[in-house]
Amino acid sequence: MTSLETLLVVAIGQGALLAALFVLIVYTRWYAQRRAARIQPARAALDRAMQRWAMGPAGENEVVAALARLPPVVATDALATWSSRASGERWDALARRLAGAPWTRTLRRYAKSRRWWHRLDAARFFAAVATPADAPAILGLLADEHPAVRLATVPAVARLEDPALLEAELDRLPTLTPTVVGYHAGLLRRARDALIPLLLARLRADQPGLAHYAEFAARLGEPALRPALTALAGHGEVEVRIQVARALGGYPHGESQAALVALATDPAWQVRAQAMRSLGRLADRASLTLLGAAVEDPEWWVRLRAALALTRLGPAGLDVLFQAERSAAAGARDMARLILGLPPQALAEFSA
Amino acid sequence: VSEVIGAVEAGFIVYFLALNSWYAVLLVLSVPEIWENTRLAEDEDQQRLMQSDALPPITILVPAHNEGATIQGSVTALLSLEYRHLEVIVVNDGSQDDTLDRLRESFALYEIPRTYPERIATQRVRALYKSRTRTKLLVIDKENGGKADALNAAINASRWPLVIAVDADTLVEHDALIRLTRPFLLGRQVAAVGGTVRVANGCTVRDGRVVQARVPRRFLPGVQVVEYLRAFLFGRLGWNRLGGSLIISGAFGLFRREYLLAIGGYRTDSVVEDLDVVVRLHRWLLARRIPYAMPFVPDPVAWTEVPESARILSRQRERWHRGLIAAMWQYRGMLFNPRYRRVGFVTMPFFFFGEMLAPLVEAVGLVLTLAGLALGIINIPFALLFFLVTWGYGMMLSLWAVALEEASFRRYGAAGDLSRLLRYASVENFGYRQATVWWRLRAFWGVFRRGHTWGEMVRRGFRESDSPAASGTP
Repeated sequence: MTSLETLLVVAIGQGALLAALFVLIVYTRWYAQRRAARIQPARAALDRAMQRWAMGPAGENEVVAALARLPPVVATDALATWSSRASGERWDALARRLAGAPWTRTLRRYAKSRRWWHRLDAARFFAAVATPADAPAILGLLADEHPAVRLATVPAVARLEDPALLEAELDRLPTLTPTVVGYHAGLLRRARDALIPLLLARLRADQPGLAHYAEFAARLGEPALRPALTALAGHGEVEVRIQVARALGGYPHGESQAALVALATDPAWQVRAQAMRSLGRLADRASLTLLGAAVEDPEWWVRLRAALALTRLGPAGLDVLFQAERSAAAGARDMARLILGLPPQALAEFSA
Repeated sequence: VSEVIGAVEAGFIVYFLALNSWYAVLLVLSVPEIWENTRLAEDEDQQRLMQSDALPPITILVPAHNEGATIQGSVTALLSLEYRHLEVIVVNDGSQDDTLDRLRESFALYEIPRTYPERIATQRVRALYKSRTRTKLLVIDKENGGKADALNAAINASRWPLVIAVDADTLVEHDALIRLTRPFLLGRQVAAVGGTVRVANGCTVRDGRVVQARVPRRFLPGVQVVEYLRAFLFGRLGWNRLGGSLIISGAFGLFRREYLLAIGGYRTDSVVEDLDVVVRLHRWLLARRIPYAMPFVPDPVAWTEVPESARILSRQRERWHRGLIAAMWQYRGMLFNPRYRRVGFVTMPFFFFGEMLAPLVEAVGLVLTLAGLALGIINIPFALLFFLVTWGYGMMLSLWAVALEEASFRRYGAAGDLSRLLRYASVENFGYRQATVWWRLRAFWGVFRRGHTWGEMVRRGFRESDSPAASGTP
């Protein structure tokens, strides 16, 4: 075959591909419109049935029937939307009822699918209507290789409050980034009764990945966690002390105050800065002298946090700042001038 | 002579095959990426994310230079974005118009002292202002130093760990920030994230939001819709699987502030600061063996006005290419350097030999082909067929981008828009592409001559005239 003939074959193949692309684009548009036209009425009917069911005692059969008329993935979407609007007990009753519905078997089977998007569908389904019988499948999804599947499974863990699932969730906390830890804490707050005893068992000085548990505990902000967090104030790891200093600002208690006073002289400036901020949140006048001294700290951030904390202690705190404004230490003087020059609105924002 | 021309022609064909094979690789890699991203975007529980306080706080950096006509609307729209922890810093970069006065009047500004250390040196900051009505807003008034300098001033003032650079005329979609933070929720070590930039010309805009996406009827902005789709939907998505692209659009890109501070912020002497900053970020992170990702996420969208006249468009493209040449030359040490791993062996060579040299090679190929034809040493049917294949391939790439759009986000809902997209994708390679080659060629001799300026961009602004009825579209 000559080069001209080869090129001719390429050109013909390319022409065919171009034509196929045209057809594909037009077909995709047509199919999407047809699908939307088919699904939208069924979805609207489900929403009407859900509305009636949410407002009165009857209508569960109607909801189950309307869900069955939708493709499983669309039904899961609807369940996810409505799960946050319906009351707990009635929703649990609906979940139990759905456990036997044929279309939900497909979604349960998806939990072991080789395709991640099927497993994601299963996770979303469990997040909305999991029952205790689904715990083993959820355990598998929590360890899924795809991060989106793992993330979508967390609401199911919160929903079931199963200790084994919560333990598995806590086991992997040290491997998660701070953003993900924060997101999990927000979701798992709902399961606090079951979660707190398990978390307390891990807030020990010798616990591997302790900083992550302390951060998680700080984000939960549960009063029952305060003593354990206070006990960690003298821990050898800086990150743990930072998390403790941050958490204790949310607990107005004498022990928190005492621990924060100790952390305010920590060798690590990040710990000191966090302790100043928390002392400001507690707004205890006993810390006045300490905060006044911290305005002369060698680290700019510590000085800023201390000065901001002083503004929350009323006229006595402002007096300390006025004294610092006339101080011989340039750092303290500049910081006091800066903070005293801020209007109340800006001050409130910077203190937040 | 004929031997020389023949050898160069052969080289040209090899280059064409290699480059287009690489495009084919990107095209294939974009398929699983668009599938994954579409699924994740569809399944995201936006309501839950809005309520969560876990999403990292973001500072939006808005450099503004003579933006008096549009600044109030743009800033109001940015302040109304759906995101829990948000701060907007507008930098008035020595505007000669009434940008600062407009801001003062619209947002009841009051002066505050500076409360942060200057980590990156910038032109003198004249004053800082907070707003009595919008607590999330901070305005910096500074002496003119260019866009990069303005961004650096905003980075200095930013309080949050993530910063996003947005042009003052960019319309960011209401949920774009939540979508942009998806890689953080997926637990990735993110250094920067890029979102999609789309063409706002011809769209219906209300209260600083695109409420109906349309494909412009006019050829120049219309063909740029296809160009943007191709650049974002398959170009950058394909690079996601190869360690990330070298470009995160300056009009809409999210960065980790600590990394920007570590590399000294944006370079003020760079022609295209967004490309430069991404290359330096790659270099800095790889040199220190810090694990990172720079993903592109296709569903967060920002809309921008593109040039409608050939004169302005040619200047924009020339400037972009000048920036690319300057960056490739400056960071040539990264080319095939094992220290920079995939970026050194794949990304940089592609941008150097593929993107930067492409117009040069294409022009040389064209001239030699014409010379060969004139001298009778090139077979005419072969030459014609070869050009037909190259044009067909270009058309296929554009149509592929349209196909990806149709299979995923389908923003252009009207049948007329789809028809226009297909038309522009089909004719783009006949004339328009050759014009862009010429504009980019001019960049080669402009690269060492010109300094860096904000560049000229005649903005029509997003007024009622952009509504379909007013612009004559059905």
